[in-house]
Order: sequence, then structure tokens, then C-alpha cells
Amino acid sequence: MEAAFGDDSRLRFILRRFTPFRKTHPLSERAFRCEVWPIMKRRSLYILLLLSGVALAEVGADAPLDFNRDVRPILSDKCFFCHGPDSHERKADLRLDTAEGALEDLGGYAAIAPGKPEDSEFMLRIRDEEDPMPPEKSHKELNQEEIAILERWIAEGAEYSEPWAYVRPKKREVPKVKDTAWSENWIDRFVLARLESEGLQPAPDADPVTLIRRLHFDLTGLPPTPEERDAFVSRERNLDEIVNALLESPHFGERLAMYWLDLVRYADTVGYHGDQDHNISPYRDWVIAALNTNLPFDQFTREQLAGDLLPNSTTAQKVASGYNSLLQTTHEGGLQLKEYDAIYAADRVRNVSAVWMGATVGCAQCHDHKYDPYTIKDHYAMAAFFADIADRDFTGNTLPAQRPPEIRIFTPEQEAELALLDRELKKRLKPDAQAQLSKLEGRRQKLASDIKKAQDKKKAELKSKLSEADQEIAEIAPKPTLKAFRKLRKQRADLEKLGRLTMITVAQEPRKMRVLPRGNWQDDSGEIVLPAVPRFLGELKPGNGERATRLDLPNWLTDVENGAGGLTARVFANRFWYLYFGTGISRSLSDFGGQGEPPANLELLDELAVSFTDSGWDLKALVRLIVTSRAYRQSSTASPELFERDPHNQLVARQSRFRLPAELIRDNALAISGLLVRESGGTSAKPYQPTGYYRHLNFPKRIYKPHANDNQWRRGLYVHWQRMFLHPMLKAMDAPSREECTAERPRSNTPNAALVLLNDPTFLEAARVFAVRILLEGGDSLDSRLDFAYHLVLSRPPDAEERSVLISLLKTTQSEYAKNSAAADALLKNGLAPTPPELDKVELASWAAVSRALLNLNETVTRN
Amino acid sequence: MNSPNFTRRTFLGQAGLSLGSAALTSLASGASPTGLSHLAAKAKRVIFLCMAGGPSHLETFDYKPKLDELNGKPMPESFTKGQPIAQLQGQALKVQGHLTKFPRHGKSGQLISDYLPHTAKIADDIAIVRSMVTEQINHDPAHTFMNTGTAISGRPSMGSWVTYGLGSETEELPGFVVLTSVGGRNPQPIASRQWSAGMLPSRFQGVEFNSSGDPVHYVSNPKGVSTKQQAALVDAIRKLDQKRNAHVANPEIATRIAAYEMAFRMQASVPELMDISDEPQHVLDAYGAQPGDGSYASNCLLARRLAERGTRFIHLYHRGWDHHGDLQKYMNICCGLTDKPTAALINDLKARGMLEDTLVIWGGEFGRTPMFQGKGGAGRDHHIKGFSMWMAGGGVQGGTTYGETDELGYHAVNNVVHVRDLHATMLHLLGIDSTRFSFPFQGLDLRLTGVEPAKVIKGVLA
Repeated sequence: MEAAFGDDSRLRFILRRFTPFRKTHPLSERAFRCEVWPIMKRRSLYILLLLSGVALAEVGADAPLDFNRDVRPILSDKCFFCHGPDSHERKADLRLDTAEGALEDLGGYAAIAPGKPEDSEFMLRIRDEEDPMPPEKSHKELNQEEIAILERWIAEGAEYSEPWAYVRPKKREVPKVKDTAWSENWIDRFVLARLESEGLQPAPDADPVTLIRRLHFDLTGLPPTPEERDAFVSRERNLDEIVNALLESPHFGERLAMYWLDLVRYADTVGYHGDQDHNISPYRDWVIAALNTNLPFDQFTREQLAGDLLPNSTTAQKVASGYNSLLQTTHEGGLQLKEYDAIYAADRVRNVSAVWMGATVGCAQCHDHKYDPYTIKDHYAMAAFFADIADRDFTGNTLPAQRPPEIRIFTPEQEAELALLDRELKKRLKPDAQAQLSKLEGRRQKLASDIKKAQDKKKAELKSKLSEADQEIAEIAPKPTLKAFRKLRKQRADLEKLGRLTMITVAQEPRKMRVLPRGNWQDDSGEIVLPAVPRFLGELKPGNGERATRLDLPNWLTDVENGAGGLTARVFANRFWYLYFGTGISRSLSDFGGQGEPPANLELLDELAVSFTDSGWDLKALVRLIVTSRAYRQSSTASPELFERDPHNQLVARQSRFRLPAELIRDNALAISGLLVRESGGTSAKPYQPTGYYRHLNFPKRIYKPHANDNQWRRGLYVHWQRMFLHPMLKAMDAPSREECTAERPRSNTPNAALVLLNDPTFLEAARVFAVRILLEGGDSLDSRLDFAYHLVLSRPPDAEERSVLISLLKTTQSEYAKNSAAADALLKNGLAPTPPELDKVELASWAAVSRALLNLNETVTRN
Repeated sequence: MNSPNFTRRTFLGQAGLSLGSAALTSLASGASPTGLSHLAAKAKRVIFLCMAGGPSHLETFDYKPKLDELNGKPMPESFTKGQPIAQLQGQALKVQGHLTKFPRHGKSGQLISDYLPHTAKIADDIAIVRSMVTEQINHDPAHTFMNTGTAISGRPSMGSWVTYGLGSETEELPGFVVLTSVGGRNPQPIASRQWSAGMLPSRFQGVEFNSSGDPVHYVSNPKGVSTKQQAALVDAIRKLDQKRNAHVANPEIATRIAAYEMAFRMQASVPELMDISDEPQHVLDAYGAQPGDGSYASNCLLARRLAERGTRFIHLYHRGWDHHGDLQKYMNICCGLTDKPTAALINDLKARGMLEDTLVIWGGEFGRTPMFQGKGGAGRDHHIKGFSMWMAGGGVQGGTTYGETDELGYHAVNNVVHVRDLHATMLHLLGIDSTRFSFPFQGLDLRLTGVEPAKVIKGVLA
């Protein structure tokens, strides 16, 4: 094989030149491994070389280099650490991240002389044989190919361009394509134009079964029912109708909320030390409702960051402002308040910049950013937007921990009942009288307690006052009325207690915010800063020299004309692409800075971003646009050559396939068995969990009680999110602890995950209940039962080989249980769901083995 | 195969092999992804004995005559002014003298307190570092700092780093195992974040072995399912997945099949590992271990068993060391539970010829103040400016004392060892140059030792 390559460096050059990206990404190896065919034959390598050669002739030789795509990543990774934005770290006073710095006259010579690599000190230093740049101690190295690119770039005129992410996205002309029949909407024209330029063709459409499953998992997170599948396969309903219905499903908001909650690090516990519960679940329900009602994304943003500051803010908007309380907090004794002020401020800056700006402003907590133009002052000025949040009013090691302000949230039924009680109360006593009564009652109570403590002499006097108060109360209303009123009032108070508490934000006098040199919270020498957006991105003009408010931040983040709206729109267009194609147009979902990967198709990303903002930030319109494209509809199977050429699916010549997210693996099993409880919202659910799993929690100690009611079978999104000890099932399937923003979950494939699917009681119970379904609804023959089961799990019938494998499993299992029916009994006792007594236990337990096998299949847990 | 510098050529080279079960099994179990061999490795594995809560260096390894002299007197402000402080905020600070004596031990004459009579007997095997400093004064962030080199959540733990760098030598057990112990004072909470793989691939995440219930979550067959039935099930899943794979040619399926195979093997190998009843009585006695008791003693013995079976990093926690008050009582209790087994572990490894390539590290997330705190009887508050740890085994010069604190044991003043220096030293002994051991994340070449310079503690190397 070696011989076939000839000159190795030449080959590497060719191969790398035509991979969409040069840099490897943390997740690249895995994704690569996932998607590349296992057996590479020599033949395919020759084809690959051939393909590469063709491409080289087309793009490599003629088209000039693109600074942002070809040059910046090299400069950023290899040079900017010492010659970049961070003024403290800068060596030789030379900066290479701006044309100004690079071209500056250094006394008769310049680092970079456009058009003249041979006169550029930059190249001379790089090529220095004794002591080449970058220096050894930086542990960075330029390879020959990178040096060649830099040289060519200088020869071509050393043009700089602004970092792509900070140039406002502009409306793009929809490209012309040769194949005019393929495109379904304009997305496809952008995709196809790129494919045609690469000499590639899109994959054929996925078969209808794959497509309907893909749509259901992507939009609602639940599998299609056999009826839903049939309606699509038989063309009774077309794709548009199905997409519309799924977008209107209450499960749409749940599915998308899972992603949002990862971004904003929503969890049910505080995260540090005692990891106590905190009151926040109504925020989660607000997110689901906002996504279901398609709240425009700019408003969605505003309500979370500053719902409390909106004029006449509604209860829902106040709940949304709970966003500001989602960070990890500590209730540990011996915490230093000032230290945690600094920790929380940095946490909020990390999150808001990662979520909305795709930026790592958090890196500027101790020093100017190494690669992007964020200064340390920018960091603290952003933190200053949050300086009005009350962080010091909290309980110690209580369960739940409380971080006021908190308000109570009621269900619509409770709201109605409260209103009814209020009306009834009013019927008994007018509001004036109610107020008077409570005042008198207060006085009376005080007197009564004073009397107990008072000396004899004083007692008499107090007693007479008490009877005066009683007299006045009696004058308000007759006794029966008062009695009825008080009874109703008690009822109301009891009902009130049922409301769910949730943390909200209420602006208070902002605390003083200083730049903390080296991030040191004890250092008070830094300058005082006011709320401001990163300087290089613009400036807020609050007017009249007033202090900018927390509300100005979301307004700026979503202001297309004068703010960062274009950036925000790009960040989210990219993430929505990731949700529906398994990879972003830029693979860096939260780093649009110099160290991130530039988008593979900037024109497409721009057009998506512009269409998103032009639609008035209409999320559902964006989703509809993507999932009704022809590109989305493609099959995920493709030739080995394509997998090799485009392992990360950046060219979109196919769809992607990937394991379902953790919550969906649970939802799918529950839906298949019929156990799934589809109720939306509410307090978090506690599924079965290994005994003693919380034994390391303390302050106070925790005993986990799995729910013994319908909550047991709720969707994964509602599972109690214990940051320190996330449910082992969720954890094994790569759900994050939600301590920090997660824009992309890993997709691992580990023995621990296998143990979960094999042995976790939730999956055992689902398998058992599914087996009951097979026996009761699947007819009497083996074939009809297997057909029924396969349709529920995979939306397709089994073939002969699959039947034979499962029948053999059934028989083996059955022969064992026939000898040991107590074992069958033991298996069936797993979980709370009842088993119909009329079913034969040996048969049921044997079928449970079949359904366990089906729930464990790769195909079952894969979105294809 | 997970090298950050993964090139297409390495892929092609590997893909040329038939990706049979063997190759995939090693993927699933985490065989060395980076093939690191920066330096000659002195140690092959690490056993990290974490005394969570922060043991007092002033009652273990750091003797300061002046502390006894000033006992009960106000703490000189020159030491404490402007320093971070935990529970003693706003209180009058006074000096608390040592609560015990510090005789010299071993040929090396190391000063070790009377609370640790068994550790005293291995004085010549251990290198005591008396000049540790850390940056976090509260437990949770301090553990995160000790384990990941930063207080920001979500970074890989050192066990994950090491397993990522060197792979695992076992295909039946995880490469990074965490053991936590019962007994002692009101135990410190400890988060699973402490053994998280962060952004490294999930298979390098630490796996906690439980002392009660399933040793590993879901590792037992469900009730009513025999091993034969479970085997038939796993076999059916494999056949169906393989069949599907022939249709869609998805290599992830092959990885998954390997994962199921390993899961099934773990169902046997983990209970076998955890069952220490096959150890001879004299070994059980040396540790003071009783099968199934979940004690630190049993965990020390398990650590040795894991080390023997090829686990790369064993992180063992004892969670009783937060002694704000009643220091005397709780030192007796905690040392009573840990001192003898710790020494037994060293001796056992030595007897088996394993100490020479096993690095053992002992210590907490920080130390305790020279100042008195009085929750109950005399105690001490959290302290981060100077505390003690020790190392032993592969590549470590036993019988050494390194670094010192000032006359009251407050500031590390001589040969100061930052947490990142400890990490650099640990990696060095494992043959890894910490400055060249990184993982690309959010534009950074992320290192266990972070961005500040980290130095190998030459003074403890053999």
C-alpha cells in the first residue's frame, strides 16, 4: 500500500487539500470512525487519488486562496498566541491578526510584503533553519503544506479579510445549477451548486420508511405509529402535511427544548458541593411552551435575559427570566461571597456568549482573548449587564435550596380555582372589608400573644383592647359570614401552597463591577466598568449617558441593523442545520472565532441566517424550510469514496445517521411499549435508578424515591437532572451534566451504554410491557407477532433471517423458563406496570427476551 | 486512533486491516489512542488516594515548633492579611498548636505524626511534599481543581487524561476506576464530575465501582435471567446488528457489537474482581479488609487487584477529612480507618514487585489552617497556601521530604509545588511530557497542566 502512494508528503498534500477542513476537531475521529466504511480496498484508494487529482486541477491551481478559509486557521493556530490580539502576550510588538500590524514598516522591511514572499521577514523567520518560527517552546509546528499556503497567500497579495463571523450576513443570490429537477427549495440550490462544483451528485431520496422515522425523531423525538407510517408510505398524506402536523404537535416543543436546555445548562440542582435541588422547573415548561407557540426568537431571547425588565411583564416573562438563575451555584458553608460574585459573573458571560454569539468570551476572564478580539475589559463589561441580579440572598444547606426572588406558578386548573375562590371570598366580604379584617386579625393576634407574656396589671388592659378588636371584627360581618369567609380563605391558602416555586430575576441596584486582573477576585485594582458589548462589535447607545440595562443586551443580540443580530442568526441557523443534518455547516457550533472551523458553505449559512431574521425570527419557518428541502430527504447511505472524501458530511451529498440522544432512547422504548405518559410539563420525574446512587450527596443526605405513579413513564426531558449524579442511563448515553453550555453532545458507544439497554429496569419493564402488547395485539402466529413487533419498533417487517434469529432466541429462552417458571416470574416482576394475569408467564417472559433484543438493536436507537 | 493529530494516512493504514473483533474490542476498551512515548516511563499506572475534605498537614507531615509556641495566641496578621479565608471569615484568628507529636521515622528520619503509625513504617518508601498550594478554598471547586487543573466544570479529570494518553491494559475492565469508601466523619459530597472525561471521548470517563448493590451500574443480569439466557440475547443482538450492517455498512455497528461483547464480559469479570474473599487471610488482615464492607481498607485491596488486572488509573476516595472541629477525635477516626490499609497497600505492591511501576499519591484537595476553629472541640479551617501530600512507587525517591512552609505552616515558601506541578510530575513519571500532551477544544490546545508553566518536581524523582 505504501508503494502506491509514492511521495508521501505529496499525497498528504493532495488528500488534505481537498478535505473540506484541515484541522481535526475534538469529535472528528469518532465521527470519522462512525461514518467511514470499514473495509477500504486498494481500489478505492486509487479512485480517491483520481478524484483528488481532478479537484486539484479545478480548484487548487486556479482559484486564489481565501484568507478566512485557507489562511486564517493556520495563522490563528500557529501564530496568534504570541502575535495576536492579546497585547500582554504579544512578542516583538508584532501582530499578525491585522493587516495593519503585518504590513507595518519595521524600518525598511515588513513582516509581510504583499506579493513578495522573498522579502517578507515573516517567511524568512518561518524558513529559518536554525530557529524557525513558531519557536520550539510553543509546541506548534508549521508543516510544509501550511508553509506553502502562507507563501502562496503572500505571493497572491496577502489580502486580509475580516473574520467571517463578524461580517454581517448578506442576502445571497440563489446559485444556478445544472440539474434543475432536483431542487425542492432554495436550500437545495446552494447545496447542489456546491456538489456540482465538486463533481458530485446528491444521494437518492431515502425510502419513505426511513424518511418518516427521521422526521418524527427530528421534530417530536418520538417514533411514528404504524398508522402514521402507513399514511405516508401509501401517500395518503404528503410530506408537507406531515411536517405541518409535526410542527404543531405539542411534542415539537419538547424535542427542541432538549437542545435548548443543554445550551442554557438547565438542571434541577445547584451543581456545587451539596448539589441541592433548586426551584426552576416552570422555566423548563416555559421553554417548551414558547417553542410550541413559536415565540419569535428575538422575543424568546429577550424574555429569558430580561423578562423582568419588559414593561408590565407577565408572569410567563418573569418565569423566563429564570434563565439568569440556571448557573451552578454553591450553598457550601465557608464560601466567600465576593469570590462567588466573580465566579457567577464569569459563568454568565461564558454562557450568554456561547449560546447567542458562538463566542468564547469566557477566555477573556484573566487576559485578553488569545485568538479573537475580545479584551479582558469586554469580559467584565459584559458581566456588568448581570450586575443587577441578586445572588447573595440564598439559603444554606436546605432541600430545596432557595435563591430568592422566587414566585409560585399554578396550573391553569389551579389558576381557575384560585379565581373562583377569590370571587367567592369577595361575595362574602368586599375587598375593603377583607383588608380591614386582616388588619384587625393581625392586631388581635398580637394582643393575644402579648397577654400571655404580660404581667397581671397590664393583662387587664390588654384584655379590654382584645375585646374591642373582637367587637370591631364582629361589626364587619355577622358570625356565619365570617366563618364561611375564613373557611374559604383557608382553602385558598392551602391551594396557594400547591403552586410550584420558581426562581426569577428582579433587578436591584447594580453592584460595582471591576476588571479583575488575572481573574483574581481579591484584586481591587482593576478599573470599574459599565455594561457594554464587546468593543470591536459596536457600541450600545442607551442615551443621555445612562447606564445600559440587562434588557439592552438581548436587544443588541437580536438587532440585525445595529447589533449582533446577524451573528446570532448565523449561530442558530448553523445549529439548526446540525440538528437536522447531524453536523453544522460550520462544525464549530459554539466557536465562530478564529480557532473555529469556517463554514463549509458560507453562502448557504448566510442565506439561512438572513431568511431567519427576515421572517421575524420565525423558528418553525426555519425548521420547515430545512426539513422540506431535498437535501434533508437524502439517503444516508453513500459510496465509500464519498465517506472517505467527506467524512463529516460538510458537502451534504447525503444525510447523516447517528445514535438518538439519551432522552429519545428512553422515549422510544416507552412509546413502543405503550407505557409513555405524554403529559407535558410539571415537576421533574424520577425513574428507577440504582439504589444508593446518591450516597455521595450530602448536606443534607439524599434518598432517591422513584416515582410510583404516572411520572415513572414520562419523557426523558422531564427526568430529574441531578448535576452531580445525572441518572446513569442519561449519562451512559452522553447527556451532559449541564454545568456548562453544551451545543454538541458526544455520541459514544460504550459497554456502559450496552449495560443500560440490557439491564436498566426501565428498559426491562418496557420490554415486558411490549411483550404483553405483542401477545395481546400481535395475533396468534409467530410470524404475525414478529411482524407486529417489528412494525412497532422499526416501522418495517422482519426478513426471513431476522425471523429465524428471533425465533431461535425465543425457543432457547422458552426451554429454560419451561424448566424454571420461578425465573420467568421473577423477570415479570420487574417494574410497577401490571401484567395481565391471564397471560402464560413462561410465554410472556420468553417474548420479553425477544422484545429486549429488539429494543437493543442498533437500528432501533439510530436516527437514519 | 483518537490522536488529535490523527492523519488520514493512519486511518488508511488501520482501515487496511480487517476491522475484526480484536481491533474493535480495543477501541471499545480504550487502548492507547495516542501512542504517547515522550519519555521513558517509570510508572505504568497510578493509584491516587484522595483524603477528601482536606487533611490537616499540621497533624500529619508538617511539624512547626513555633506553632506550639504561639498556641492560643493571636495569629500574626502578617500571615493572614488579604488572604482568602473560608469559615473563619470575620472571626478573631488565633494560633492552634499541633495536636500530636512528630517523631522521626525510618532510615531517612522523616517527620511523621503519631496519628499515622503505619505510614511511619513506610517512611523510607514515600516522598513527602510539604509545600503544596492550590487555588480553590471550597471543597467542590478544590476537588475539581485538583483533578482537572481548573475550577471550571467540564474539563477532563486526570484519570481520563492518563487513560486517554496511555490506553488501558485490560479489555475486561475499565481503564479508569473510582472507588469511594464508607466510614469516618459526616462524609464530603463528591461529584461524578470528578471522574468525568470532559471533552475527551466518553470511553475514558472514570467508572465508579460501588461497594453495595451492583458493583458497576446494571452489571448484573436482571432477576429471572440466567447467564445462558443473557448470552443468547447478546448473541441474537449481535446477529441482527451484523445483518443490518451488511445492508448499511455502518462501522459504528461494529464498534457497538464490540461494546456489547465487553459489556457481557464485564458481567463476569467485575464480580470476580470485587469478590475479595479469595484473598488469603493474612492479606485481608494486613489491610484490615472484610469482604463487602465498602471500607477504605477493602478499597485499597481492590485497588491492588485492579492494578494487577491492568487498570491504568485508580482513584480512591475517603471522604471524612473536613475537620472544622473535634480535630483530635476525627483524626483518630480517619487515620484509624486509612493509615493501616494505606501502608498495607504499599507493602503489598512492593511484595509483588508492582510498587516499582505503580505511582501512588496520597493527599487531599487542600490542607487546614494553622488557626484555631472551634466547631465542637479544636479544629481547623480550609487552607490552600501550604499543605502536604506524598508520593511513592514508580520513579519516586522514597524517604525524601521536599519543600517547606513558613514557621507557622501557613505559606509554602520553599520549593513551592502547585497542583499543576504535581500533574506534570505524575505525567512525567508515566512517560508523558505535559507540555506536549494536549487536546484541541474550543480553539485551545487544552492541557491537564493548563496554560501556566508547570514544572516537574525533580527533587522527588529517583
